[in-house]
Amino acid sequence: MDLRAGDSWGMLACLCTVLWHLPAVPALNRTGDPGPGPSIQKTYDLTRYLEHQLRSLAGTYLNYLGPPFNEPDFNPPRLGAETLPRATVNLEVWRSLNDKLRLTQNYEAYSHLLCYLRGLNRQAATAELRRSLAHFCTSLQGLLGSIAGVMAALGYPLPQPLPGTEPAWAPGPAHSDFLQKMDDFWLLKELQTWLWRSAKDFNRLKKKMQPPAASVTLHLEAHGF
Amino acid sequence: MDVYSGWKQPSWMVDSKRMRMTLNLPWLLSALTLLHLTIQAHSLKRGAAQDLKCTTKNMHVWDCTWSASAGVSPGTVKEVCIKDRLNSCHRLESTNIKIAALSPGDHEVTINYLNGFQNKFTLNEKDVSLIPDTPESLNLSADFSTSTLHLRWNDRGSAFPYPSNATWEIKVLQNPSMEPVKLVSFNTTLSGQDIVHHWNWTSDLPLQCAPHSVGIRWYIDHHRFSGYKVWSDWSLLKNISWTPNSETNVFPQDKVILAGSDITFCCVSQTKVLSGQIGRTFCPLIHLYGENVAIRIQNISVSENSGTNVVFTTEDNVYGTVVFAGYPPDVPQKLNCETHDFKEIICSWNPGRPTGLVGPRNTDYTLSESISGKSVAFKRFETLTNESYRLAFQMLPGQEIHNFTLTGRNPLGHAESAIFINITERVVPHVPVSLRVKDINSTVVALSWHLPGNFAKINLLCQVQICKASSEQEVRNATIKGAEGSSYLVAVDKLNPYTLYTFRVRCSTETFWKWSKWSNEKRHLTMEAIPSRGPDTWREWSSDGKNLIIYWKPLPINEANGKILSYNVSCSSNEETQSLSEILDPQHKAEIQLEKNDYIISVVAKNSAGSSPPSKIASMEIPNDDILVEQAVGMGKRIFLSWHPDPNMTCDYVIKWCNSSRSEPCLMDWIKVPSNSTETIIESDQFQPGVRYNFYLYGCTNQGYQLLRSIIGYIEELAPIVAPNFTVEDTSADSILVKWEDIPVEELRGFLRGYLFYFQKGERDTPKTRTFETGHSDIKLKNITDISQKTLRIADLQGKTSYHLVLRAYTHGGLGPEKSMFVVTKENSVGLIIAILIPVAVAVIVGVVTSILCYRKREWIKETFYPDIPNPENCKALQFQKSICEGSSALKTLEMNPCTPNNVEVLESRSIVPKIEDTEIISPVAERPGECSEADPENHVVVSYCPPIIEEEISNPAADEAGGTSQVVYIDVQSMYQPQAKPEEEQGIDPGVVAGYKPQMRLPINSAVEDTTAEDEADKTAGYRPQANVNTWNLVSPDSPRSTDSNSEIVSFGSPCSINSRQFLIPPKDEDSPKSNGGGWSFTNFFQNKPND
Repeated sequence: MDLRAGDSWGMLACLCTVLWHLPAVPALNRTGDPGPGPSIQKTYDLTRYLEHQLRSLAGTYLNYLGPPFNEPDFNPPRLGAETLPRATVNLEVWRSLNDKLRLTQNYEAYSHLLCYLRGLNRQAATAELRRSLAHFCTSLQGLLGSIAGVMAALGYPLPQPLPGTEPAWAPGPAHSDFLQKMDDFWLLKELQTWLWRSAKDFNRLKKKMQPPAASVTLHLEAHGF
Repeated sequence: MDVYSGWKQPSWMVDSKRMRMTLNLPWLLSALTLLHLTIQAHSLKRGAAQDLKCTTKNMHVWDCTWSASAGVSPGTVKEVCIKDRLNSCHRLESTNIKIAALSPGDHEVTINYLNGFQNKFTLNEKDVSLIPDTPESLNLSADFSTSTLHLRWNDRGSAFPYPSNATWEIKVLQNPSMEPVKLVSFNTTLSGQDIVHHWNWTSDLPLQCAPHSVGIRWYIDHHRFSGYKVWSDWSLLKNISWTPNSETNVFPQDKVILAGSDITFCCVSQTKVLSGQIGRTFCPLIHLYGENVAIRIQNISVSENSGTNVVFTTEDNVYGTVVFAGYPPDVPQKLNCETHDFKEIICSWNPGRPTGLVGPRNTDYTLSESISGKSVAFKRFETLTNESYRLAFQMLPGQEIHNFTLTGRNPLGHAESAIFINITERVVPHVPVSLRVKDINSTVVALSWHLPGNFAKINLLCQVQICKASSEQEVRNATIKGAEGSSYLVAVDKLNPYTLYTFRVRCSTETFWKWSKWSNEKRHLTMEAIPSRGPDTWREWSSDGKNLIIYWKPLPINEANGKILSYNVSCSSNEETQSLSEILDPQHKAEIQLEKNDYIISVVAKNSAGSSPPSKIASMEIPNDDILVEQAVGMGKRIFLSWHPDPNMTCDYVIKWCNSSRSEPCLMDWIKVPSNSTETIIESDQFQPGVRYNFYLYGCTNQGYQLLRSIIGYIEELAPIVAPNFTVEDTSADSILVKWEDIPVEELRGFLRGYLFYFQKGERDTPKTRTFETGHSDIKLKNITDISQKTLRIADLQGKTSYHLVLRAYTHGGLGPEKSMFVVTKENSVGLIIAILIPVAVAVIVGVVTSILCYRKREWIKETFYPDIPNPENCKALQFQKSICEGSSALKTLEMNPCTPNNVEVLESRSIVPKIEDTEIISPVAERPGECSEADPENHVVVSYCPPIIEEEISNPAADEAGGTSQVVYIDVQSMYQPQAKPEEEQGIDPGVVAGYKPQMRLPINSAVEDTTAEDEADKTAGYRPQANVNTWNLVSPDSPRSTDSNSEIVSFGSPCSINSRQFLIPPKDEDSPKSNGGGWSFTNFFQNKPND
């Protein structure tokens, strides 16, 4: 009997807590501004989805590039593709970034990567590959819009593209096919790293933007059940 | 002599030169060396050589040298005179002289020395060597992208008499220290002018891979010059080398080559190259110079879409290039040009073998028309299906003849095919669209459609496909004058009224090339027309004969010509005409009350277009008395009827039929057969097997119908579904009279063909008689084929015997079910009397004979079977034992409570009893009845044996050395724990832990509680010792304080009990033990016999 009574009290306490925090649940809080939380969550989800999508695209595209690009242990030095935005960053540097800087870097990186991807699409020689690339570009465009939405919700201005910094990805006469392939390889790799980094960025931002009540609720849930 | 021998030397040189033409350079050098050594040897032999050698560079001036005679210094030459020339003496002080070319023939040359010494030579043009100057003005350039070297030089032909032939030799060295990789010679003609020559050479190894050097030499051959032609010296080597840049290190870059060819890739590197691979295949490295390496690919296969990667790996980097191996375009196949609309010409083709090259290296096609001079290009980036190769060429107005050439081009080559056409003969119109149908009348419609295109100058040939719902297809052709972008109209006639048609159209031109695709289908229902005939009519009189029922059949759709809305029925006689009101369509019969007079019944069908012609029938039949009923059996769902032709029947025959079980008027259906027919097959879905139908054949005359034949028939006969109902009319001792009834027609399901009657002896409910097995010998069978027979007498039966009778009817469809009956025949009285009397008489005789015999032998029988028996009461021996038992007052008899006394015997062999007595081992419980006289009265325990279900074992005295008493198995009351049969397994068990009952052999003895001598003795004896250790029991009783702490699984719960008894094997002492008093014992006490009870 004691045990049951304890259960009831726990559930009652939990119910009260949930009711207390109901106004804080964004979906139910119709009266006020939901804040950037949902859009951050959406952006995070989109990032994860793009990660998944890229895995499939990269497999197809690296097979198209042919061996040794599609071999798992192929890891050439990143000599070419200097214009590609680098995703790798020192951990301390990454920690020291503020939200605005993080979002700005993400936005700028994907803006560039999207341009490169579109260039890639123009070169692809098979219709299937073009479809896959176009689909991914659309998704990436969505992610870019989503990041812009988060920045707007947080009150950060969008970075203005500097004149003349548009990447010229079109294969020139000086650019050999092999170097082009290396660039494509690195583009996919950087995209993968950027998506991974963005997932971390948005996860961090999400946690930061979460109201503290949520943690209380979680704690109570863990206790009560 | 010396002189002439000296001039022979050039001939050696010429010889060597001539040999050079066919031999290679090393051989030439060896030969020259040998020649020089030979000359030296000759000079030494002569002592002082004075050879005159003349050479010329341009055939105009000869340069002659000679060596001074021995002892004459070169500075002492005074003059050189040539004999047959004016002013032929040239003063000089050296041993060489340039002279103008001499005319052919021998010339005497005299050299005078200051000291008066004189040398004479004979000089001839033949002895002069023509050695041109070393070629100059070399210009070497390289196209690195194509690995091609370009060499340019001037032949300086103006300096030579012309025309002269010049032979050039060019050598290419890949590395200065190496042998030439290419040595080539070719001829030119000197024309008296300075001409710049070109020579191109493409290297297998990319030029970037190694520095290349080029050298050139030549000799001149002039037809008037009869001297020796000698190679000039090699020119100075011109070098080409590539300046490395940071990006590209592997060559050739992005090369497109023919699949199957060989190619060399090189990597220019400052560091050591570890591996080189093409695709996934690693290749052996060829070291060039420095760290530069190359790999050689032979028979390269066609590349994938993005090309084949060639990758060189160094310790810190990866370099690579992409090669595109493929094929030049195949000749375009199946080139076909045609027009759909006279606005543009569509040319399509099959590209043939895939080139394996895509993207920017894909094949570009150009379609050019030579008459108009126009062309269109086809360029696609990605790979295409074969159907996609098509080009549209805009037609010029007025141009009908076209000469097309299609050229396919890719980096590996080009191919073309051509076609010459008159476009008016290559017309495939577009699909006709907007097909419409309009009614003109019930049999004619107008079809219209639109055909895009300008067909103004030609005639169109179109096909109209007409499909009826019954999948009947018809195609009609129509030739139409073409027009521009117009609609076309044709009339389609000879259609059926009120019929659903599906139309579609396709077109071509009169000069047929191809049909267009069919247009979409258009369904159309034609207009209605009046029904083409009246409905098929019949009539029947009602059963009471007062009403005439008129039946008609709905008209088939092709005769109804529309939707039948109603019918008009009228009957007319001579006097009057009676019309019924309109009868709406679904009803196809009408009833008119008429007297049995002659009337003509008329039925008219009406649709929206009008009324049909009337269909007439007379109300009365012409009587016919000569009618026989015949039988017929059909097959499947059809029945065949035939009749003899009757010339009186002028109109037709009618066969009507009905189910014979139906009441009158019975009409299922009828058919009309033309009057010239004598047979017909009647088929109907309504026919069912096993049902009897009546068929009536009527013939039609002018007066009306007459019944000609009446037929009963089955579509298919089946077996009867009931057995004939039969009874026994009469029974005698040897016969039975059986009578049966007819089976109703509905249950007969066929024409009755007979009965089967079986009989055999048998009682009711005897399995043998329940069913008749065919072929059984006891069964008697009678087949009654006379279906009019209704009785049967069975004779020759046995009296008072049960018979099993069975009757079955059968048709051609099979045997019906059986009906059986058991009948007992009557007794035969005489036989019975005899059967009783004979046994009685025999029995009487036997009894009399036996009595007589027994009487005579009575003494013997008594001795044998009944001897005298002694009286036991006279036995003295038994009295002693009786007194002993009666004298013991303490002796009690075995108590019966609460168990059933002693169903189990405790067996002992006689030899054991004295042994026990000797060892004085006496079980306090298992008292034996034979020992009662010697036992201490106080130690007596009343034992009640509770017989358990467990089997008792009787010990074998010979095998059981321990004492030979009966082996008793003990059982725990509550757990039914059975002690283990092997005592040695218990040795290791701690007695304190295994505190339960220790049967028999090795019971541990606690000396502290031993107080009887018997227990002392038990230590030494391995006999049966139940209940010896009392403390052991007490310790583990469930109510004792220690019992709860015991963790032993073999805890004995309560007292064990002998399997031979329900007596708990607890000694009487337990009553005194304080530990044994507890509630746990309450239940077991019910089963315990206490001494004081």
